[in-house]
Amino acid sequence: MPFRASDDGDRTRQGVATLVLLALLLLIACLISLGVGPTGVGLKDLWAYATGHSASLTTQERVILEAVRLPRTALGLLVGAGLAVSGAMMQGLFRNPLADPGIVGVTSGASLAAVTAIVLGGTVLSPMALFFGNYFLPLMAFFGGLLNTWLLYIIAMRAGRTSTTALILSGIAIGALTAAMTGLLIFMADDRQLRDITFWSLGSLGGATFGRVSSILPFVLVVLAIMPFVARGLDALILGDAAAFHMGIPVQRLKKIVIVAVAAACGASVAVAGSIGFVGIVVPHLLRLTMGPSHRFLLPGSALGGGALLLIADSVARTVAAPAELPIGVITALFGAPIFLFLLLGRNGIGMRDVQ
Amino acid sequence: MGFSMTFRGFLTVALFGAGLVAGSAAAADKGNSDAKRIVSIGGTVTEILYALGAEDRIVARDSTSFYPDAANAKPDVGYMRALSAEGILGQKPDLILMEEGSGPPPVLEILKASEVPMVVVPTPPDATKIGQKIRDVGAAVGLSDKAAALATKTEDDLKKLAADVAKIPGPKKKVLFVLSLSNNRVMAGGAGTEAGAVIEMAGGINAAPTINGYKPLSDEAVIAAQPDVVLSMSRGDHSITPEQAFALPSMQTTPAAANKALISMDGLLLLGFGPRTPEAARSLAAQIYPGAVN
Amino acid sequence: MSDAMISATHITVVRSGRKLLDNVGIDLEPGKFTVVIGPNGAGKSTLMKVLSGEMTADMGHVSYYGTSVDLCQPVDLAKRRAVLPQATQLAFPFTALEIARMGAVAHGALNPTEEGRKALSRVGLRGFESRPYPSLSGGEQQRVQFARALAQVPQPVADGLPRALFLDEPTASLDLGHQISVLEIARDFASAGGIVLAILHDLNLAAEFADHLVVLNHGRVVAEGPCADTVNDDIISAVYGIAGTVGRLPAAHIPYVLPQSRHR
Repeated sequence: MPFRASDDGDRTRQGVATLVLLALLLLIACLISLGVGPTGVGLKDLWAYATGHSASLTTQERVILEAVRLPRTALGLLVGAGLAVSGAMMQGLFRNPLADPGIVGVTSGASLAAVTAIVLGGTVLSPMALFFGNYFLPLMAFFGGLLNTWLLYIIAMRAGRTSTTALILSGIAIGALTAAMTGLLIFMADDRQLRDITFWSLGSLGGATFGRVSSILPFVLVVLAIMPFVARGLDALILGDAAAFHMGIPVQRLKKIVIVAVAAACGASVAVAGSIGFVGIVVPHLLRLTMGPSHRFLLPGSALGGGALLLIADSVARTVAAPAELPIGVITALFGAPIFLFLLLGRNGIGMRDVQ
Repeated sequence: MGFSMTFRGFLTVALFGAGLVAGSAAAADKGNSDAKRIVSIGGTVTEILYALGAEDRIVARDSTSFYPDAANAKPDVGYMRALSAEGILGQKPDLILMEEGSGPPPVLEILKASEVPMVVVPTPPDATKIGQKIRDVGAAVGLSDKAAALATKTEDDLKKLAADVAKIPGPKKKVLFVLSLSNNRVMAGGAGTEAGAVIEMAGGINAAPTINGYKPLSDEAVIAAQPDVVLSMSRGDHSITPEQAFALPSMQTTPAAANKALISMDGLLLLGFGPRTPEAARSLAAQIYPGAVN
Repeated sequence: MSDAMISATHITVVRSGRKLLDNVGIDLEPGKFTVVIGPNGAGKSTLMKVLSGEMTADMGHVSYYGTSVDLCQPVDLAKRRAVLPQATQLAFPFTALEIARMGAVAHGALNPTEEGRKALSRVGLRGFESRPYPSLSGGEQQRVQFARALAQVPQPVADGLPRALFLDEPTASLDLGHQISVLEIARDFASAGGIVLAILHDLNLAAEFADHLVVLNHGRVVAEGPCADTVNDDIISAVYGIAGTVGRLPAAHIPYVLPQSRHR
């Protein structure tokens, strides 16, 4: 199935075909996300709403569509696309199929900031918490993520060149530090805060509102907008920093742009949806098997596939334990991990190699 | 050269902050005296509804509402601070009654926008506020008279208890509330906890007043606390046995261990701050001071 | 002194207190196949990195047709020269065609897939287009990289200026037949007016293909010029430490293989 390139070695046709299929899948996932839920509001209600016959709906049905389903679908789409594309870009940048967006420190920084907001929001940080109200936690998470990436970058940027090894090693060090500080805050937390921390770290699209959607829109759009420009550079980078330079890629600039865009998109996603794992690794991986590793198809494919995956996972999370809601991070891990294992064990022969 | 964080930072504040700040819906605090499909969030609120005889009007509850046992048969909308908007609305409620602190906030906003009557009941861990809690719940469901009666009875019971406790002869005993003993560490209830408040209501002294909230106590602190009695929670059939409690080296030197003084009580009963609190505190007092209170 | 060439003057590179290159000057002229030889650690790869613009020398100056290399954007450099590196490992299974195509994209070709295909044919890899790179042998992989380099500079001369091919040990992991064909392609490139710089290990091949030979040792140019002048016993024994190898037959019972003597 996967790797069978057409005999002439040009995978353009497969790439385009897969993109079309993914777009279709995304459309279906959107319809499922909009039309399925415990209140019984369905596709025909959606149709009535969309075609201007919303007077035929009860207030509650309209609220469900406008305030629950639509923002949630939009958020799932953006977060899924943002995380998957970020994952693909990180894997290209680090020449490693196991790299995920967290490698630049954005998720651990956002987590630390979120835990800080939860634990200290009532005491030390209460003036800020009162001022920002409901938005205190997302804002903290967002800036925490960016700050951590910036710190990591400064540390790894020695002699003006970003060595990927330096980035990974600094990431480990900073990650250990953030984990320690998070642990300290957990120690200080009371019962209620502990529960909040737990749920935050499992991720959820439940708090989706149009305010939140519009707040992360610019950041996810950035990472999507740079896709055509960085695709060629990321392809070349697979051959090594030197070879990419020789082929005309401004390597340092490319790395900076990608890291900043990924940090912004992931920071924003984590801020509004908590920590959702596996999308950034599994989606690009699966797609590489079907359409090959060329980024001109992989990046848009990841955006489409990531959005679809997250929407489907969210639909499951919303319905399987209704009227309660499972945290979405549980679903993505529950399905992502076995798929990941299957990929690792089943496809070993097809030349997925670790490169230093 | 580097990337100019200041410019980016400014831009991000502007963009992200502006994007996030959305208009908030107006609060809906009215109750619904005719409500037949109540979604009840919070263990104490649910308990009060049952005590007022409104159980047939409850259509769903949250995961912290497990008393009385019958409540467990009703659909569970999840943990009270991680609710699902659509899940709740899917129950077609005509009243949402929730304890303060339910969330997350965006879900509350969606519920407000749905125009279903929603009442938030303040629930401070304070015995003197229990009556008000009962009255608030009653007002929300149109059972103010019954609620007033229950509230008055509860307040009277508390006063009687306070009087009886004042008559207990001898020095007050030190009680250590132990939340858990996992990993051989004592997780104790300190100042500002419901456990501490109940201990005092029962005429005891909190043996761990210097920590705030539920925190692990170091071995030395346990020894220094010298509790006369150890209090722990049971949930269903789970409870800590005296052997387990006093097996820890730090506990072995305490007066409680010498007297094998371990009290085990149901968690929600003990810590719920609802209509059963007078009964719980009385039972606790009777166990701390056997014979002095009944 | 013509400006239509790549030249380096007074190049010094110091790393960890050691001089990798010490006041090295070199001119790469169009139409000439320049070969650099020398023992390991002589500074050959370092010299190529400096000339290709990948590394900046601590002292000295590199210019491409009169313009300092520091002033050139990577995109512009990419149009003027292509580099064939030593072995390359890939983390992801690109096909041979996709790799060769990257060179064509770097060139700015309108139909990079077709150009990539043509380049693969030139190196004798027609039919290998859909093979995943990691599944190829070392020699096949090296030839795919060569195809990529050729796709990046398809014309030896374009817009009146010569283009350059930099080959870093292109013959490593190739068997003899392929070594010859790769070097012959490079020589054709030079003959048509392009600039070629190759680092070679094999002294016989260097002796045959070099129009201009540069001998490096300990970061310094020990000798340079046509092969007739530079490949002699004094220089070889001084640099490599073995004497009596130039122009002498071995003992009668030992056969000798001289690629440069092959039938054409």
